[in-house]
Amino acid sequence: MVMCKDVVENIIGYIEAELDDKTLDELERHLHECPECQAFVRTYKKMLELTGKLRERTFVTPEIRQRLKELLKSKLKPN
Amino acid sequence: MKKAGFLRKLVGAFTGQKKKEAITPETNRIPDEKLIELFITSNDKDAFEEIVNRYEDKIYGLAFRITRDHHSAEEVLQEVFLTLLKKIGTFRGESKFSSWLYRVTANASYMHLRAEKKYESDLSLDDYVPYDENGTLMGRIKVKDWSDRPDQALLSKEAMEIIEKAVDELPEPYRVVVHLRDIEGLSNEEVSVLLGLSVPALKSRLHRARLFLRDKLSDYFYERSK
Repeated sequence: MVMCKDVVENIIGYIEAELDDKTLDELERHLHECPECQAFVRTYKKMLELTGKLRERTFVTPEIRQRLKELLKSKLKPN
Repeated sequence: MKKAGFLRKLVGAFTGQKKKEAITPETNRIPDEKLIELFITSNDKDAFEEIVNRYEDKIYGLAFRITRDHHSAEEVLQEVFLTLLKKIGTFRGESKFSSWLYRVTANASYMHLRAEKKYESDLSLDDYVPYDENGTLMGRIKVKDWSDRPDQALLSKEAMEIIEKAVDELPEPYRVVVHLRDIEGLSNEEVSVLLGLSVPALKSRLHRARLFLRDKLSDYFYERSK
């Protein structure tokens, strides 16, 4: 019998559509009846979306960039 | 006057731009490997500069994620590009250039961690689970469901800082996996090759890290709603 634990432990396969038909069918039947697991899947997906937003952060300041460019300039071969 | 390099001609070939026009975002369409080839064969500094522009943030970001230290991250950034200059001629294109660069960055970052004796490999989230001993989530998740909050709340500066902080709280082996897979968007296969982990081992680590992050965000948004 499928339990919440099975949804949690198969969440990557579920999201990446890698589950076999039988497992998927069983999980979906449980999901349909379990509001806790529905909330788990929703918040898990939202967490992934938000974590992905960190990609837009920039780290390199103009000062770091300048120091890097000066260092590389001294190492690049002249044409 | 700045010398118009082969890169500018190549931009023209890819985009139809005339060669005397300044390099524009259209340059982004040129594959990394082509830029490398240009630099090796023609010493085209514009091509190298484009590689630097493309990867400086990614390298610094990964280095900072591993070392959690801005000084170390900047040192790694410089080391990686110096390594690239030294070894660029040996790049055979057998792996994607970006994967090679990430691998060099990760290795350099771990060297810094070891040098500063900050290696944290003994910490584990392997037993981290959100369900109870009976395998149920009963009462643990829905009460804190924050998924329907408006984007304004979810994407606020404070919320993004909480996510950043939560990722930083992960032990290093989990942190690097989340950074490469969920933040940088690399595939399971790319991350597994890069870190020398099997795909199942990678997924297992990623799974525990994501459960931890989901819980952290739930706690944060739940507290905010009180």
